[in-house]
Amino acid sequence: MNKYNVYWVKFLKNKRNKYSLLVFGFIFILSLFAEVLSNDKPIIMSIDSKLYFPIIMTYSDKHFDGYFDTEADYKDNFMTQKIAMKNNWAIFPLNPHSYDSINLNKSTPNPAPPSQYNYLGTDDRGRDVLARLLYGFRLSVLFAFALTAIGILIGLFFGALQGYYAGKVDLYLQRFIEIWGSMPELYLLIIFSSLFEPSVLLLIVLLSLFGWMGLSDYVRAEFLKGRNMEYVIAARTLGLSDTKIILKHILPNSMVSVITFLPFRISGAILVLTSLDFLGLGVPPDTPSLGELLAQGKENIEAWWLSISTFLVLTGTLLSLIFIGEGIRESLDSRSE
Amino acid sequence: MKILEIKNLSLKSKKSNALLLNNISLTLNKGETLGIVGESGSGKTLTGLSVTGLLDSSIFEVISGEVIYSKQNLLACPEEYLRSIRTKKISMVFQEPMLSLNPVQTIKKQLDEVIKLHVTKIKKDINSLSKEIIIKTGLEDVDKTLLSYPHMLSGGQRQRVMIAIALVCKPDILIADEPTTALDVTLQLQILDLLNNFKIENSMSMILVSHDLDLIKNYSDHIIILNNGVIVEDGLTRNVFEKPKHEYTKKLILSKPDKIITKNSGDKKILETKNLSCRFPLNNPFFTKNKKYFTALSNVNIHVNIGETVGIVGESGSGKTTLAMAIMQLLNYDGNIIFDNKDLSMLSNKGIRKYRNNFQIVFQDPFSSLSPRLNILEILSEGLVAFNKDIKYNELFDICTSLLSEVGLSNDMLLRYPHQFSGGQRQRIAIARALSMKPKLIIFDEPTSALDVIVQKNILELIVSLQEKYSLSYCFISHDLKVIKSISHRIYVIKDSEIVETNSTENILNYPTSDYTKNLIKSSFLS
Repeated sequence: MNKYNVYWVKFLKNKRNKYSLLVFGFIFILSLFAEVLSNDKPIIMSIDSKLYFPIIMTYSDKHFDGYFDTEADYKDNFMTQKIAMKNNWAIFPLNPHSYDSINLNKSTPNPAPPSQYNYLGTDDRGRDVLARLLYGFRLSVLFAFALTAIGILIGLFFGALQGYYAGKVDLYLQRFIEIWGSMPELYLLIIFSSLFEPSVLLLIVLLSLFGWMGLSDYVRAEFLKGRNMEYVIAARTLGLSDTKIILKHILPNSMVSVITFLPFRISGAILVLTSLDFLGLGVPPDTPSLGELLAQGKENIEAWWLSISTFLVLTGTLLSLIFIGEGIRESLDSRSE
Repeated sequence: MKILEIKNLSLKSKKSNALLLNNISLTLNKGETLGIVGESGSGKTLTGLSVTGLLDSSIFEVISGEVIYSKQNLLACPEEYLRSIRTKKISMVFQEPMLSLNPVQTIKKQLDEVIKLHVTKIKKDINSLSKEIIIKTGLEDVDKTLLSYPHMLSGGQRQRVMIAIALVCKPDILIADEPTTALDVTLQLQILDLLNNFKIENSMSMILVSHDLDLIKNYSDHIIILNNGVIVEDGLTRNVFEKPKHEYTKKLILSKPDKIITKNSGDKKILETKNLSCRFPLNNPFFTKNKKYFTALSNVNIHVNIGETVGIVGESGSGKTTLAMAIMQLLNYDGNIIFDNKDLSMLSNKGIRKYRNNFQIVFQDPFSSLSPRLNILEILSEGLVAFNKDIKYNELFDICTSLLSEVGLSNDMLLRYPHQFSGGQRQRIAIARALSMKPKLIIFDEPTSALDVIVQKNILELIVSLQEKYSLSYCFISHDLKVIKSISHRIYVIKDSEIVETNSTENILNYPTSDYTKNLIKSSFLS
């Protein structure tokens, strides 16, 4: 059994870890296929004995003998009648709504409570809450992964540089971090989001500029400790280059801080995105986001399905992420048996 | 007259269910010193702790036995009673003086606390008593000592303070658990003499726990030899040392390193330092011109011949490790280091890296000198790969296997991780790593200080046999003159960053010239 197997077995031994991973992994993988699960276009349909794949391909109305060059609206009367004709059929996704599709044929005012058409109701613009939750969850998690990965890479780089070379390098970089860290992050975000067109990429760049500092401090401390360990000195006497010593000797022994902070960084990133969206400073308005749903919940306080469902998704995500992270940390810790 | 008796004491670990002490019985007579000797893990500290009921009951479980003091079984006594006799009747001194004093309180406060608790609550009496005991422990400048914090005192002074705290209530029994192990050799004698005088003055009894046979031999009346929680031998100290009965005792007494080296050294120089100096900047403010420095080495001139072992002996802080680091080109230094007719101080960083395979180092602590995340194969092959990038896995595997057998380990250990090995085995791996580079010179920085005596002797023998096989040159650094003398051809004595004396091993031991060397020899029980 190699060493990664040992960690894996140790991780699964704890039931809390196992179920958190199962639940989170299942929902995350489902959300990766959100287009197939929740969409206003059929997965596959047959019109006049011809097969169509609307999810993958874009068909205009003209394909179906309509008048417009625009993409077909499969919820429109024209299309529903076409599908209902003899020998024609269509398979719709489980939840026949996309995150931005608006149900125009509905009689109840928006936001509408859960019904057989919208399993979790609609938001104040008539968009399906379940679809928005699914897409919003995916965006949040992917965003958090990206932000965390970038933060860790930058943090590790600067922390390792400071800790390993110490002395002047450390001194100047530390002053730089102090100055950089005292910049008002939130105001910069507000200014930038009014200067540029808001987008997910812009958010990642802006948040990454500041997100690495907390981690680099810990990595620096670990490296300062590690550089004087006897096995590191021994590696130097064996003639290893600095890069090799950093990557092979100090880094693996300094990963504890990185791994300990991993779950908190991921859940922190999700929270940051949610709060920025809640304030209206985050992703562009049409993007599905948990924060925007929460903001709607706040404005339509009587629409309980908005706030409760979003709250549950958010808490469940954060909780399972923390449990998983805690489990990873414990199973990698060679001291705990 | 019996003052303390332990009857059939057995103790086990709650977690692993392992028997830690097995049927320990001993008696301590009034005014007598009982020595307890054993390797690390033999249960000698546990025996001491169990007397005062200081064992952590969540880890240890007493299975059977009694500890009888003044007709009472201490193991059955309530905590309140035990508290009233600790320090007052039965007192303890521990090994590490840095850890056993509270760093944020003055010495006076910590000493007064004990007096207040057990002797008197009158302020005037407390003051006079605390002064009296500090004078007795031989500390100069009493008032200043009392008002200082632990970090302001040296290790020896701290241990004296610990002794003052332990003895201020004039206890019946003192349990001294390795009281001098953390101290320099020249201090060891002073501290033990202090304890001994106090014992005679107050007709106190003492349990002296130590791994150091010489020390026990000179200071105890009775002796108990512990091995794996079992008493293998007990009796009068003199009898045990003259006629050891048990195999283990014989091994222990024989493990005292005698002269191991047999071959004579060559006379061609492999290493020479010329006016080697080294200084470190002290905590200078950022914008200062006149920076202050701490001098770690000043004008050190040593040389090592091919096939020779040069011993470098000195106390902690004398600069011996700095010397090793400078020779290994791991520090900035002034002066010249000439290795194999090449002046290393002229080389660039990259030039040195290419030259590093010629000189290697083995460190003191086998627990921190091997990276815990790499297995033995990775550790051993690292240097080989650094010098030969195209080396094949099969070749590496073969080389590492032969390296392991060279240091007396079997090759099925290649894929294990450092934490699966004992201290002695790890030190063998560290030696194998140094050998992997086929060096001409190996520096040993206290390679045996963290090991038990029996293991220590094995390692020393291994080191010598490797030297004879490959005619290696060694630079052997230690604080322990006994070890140094057993394996060195020539000795340098280093004190306060300077070489005070050098000569061949025999001459230094028999005709020391400087006072410091004489003192060192006396403290190591070599005279």
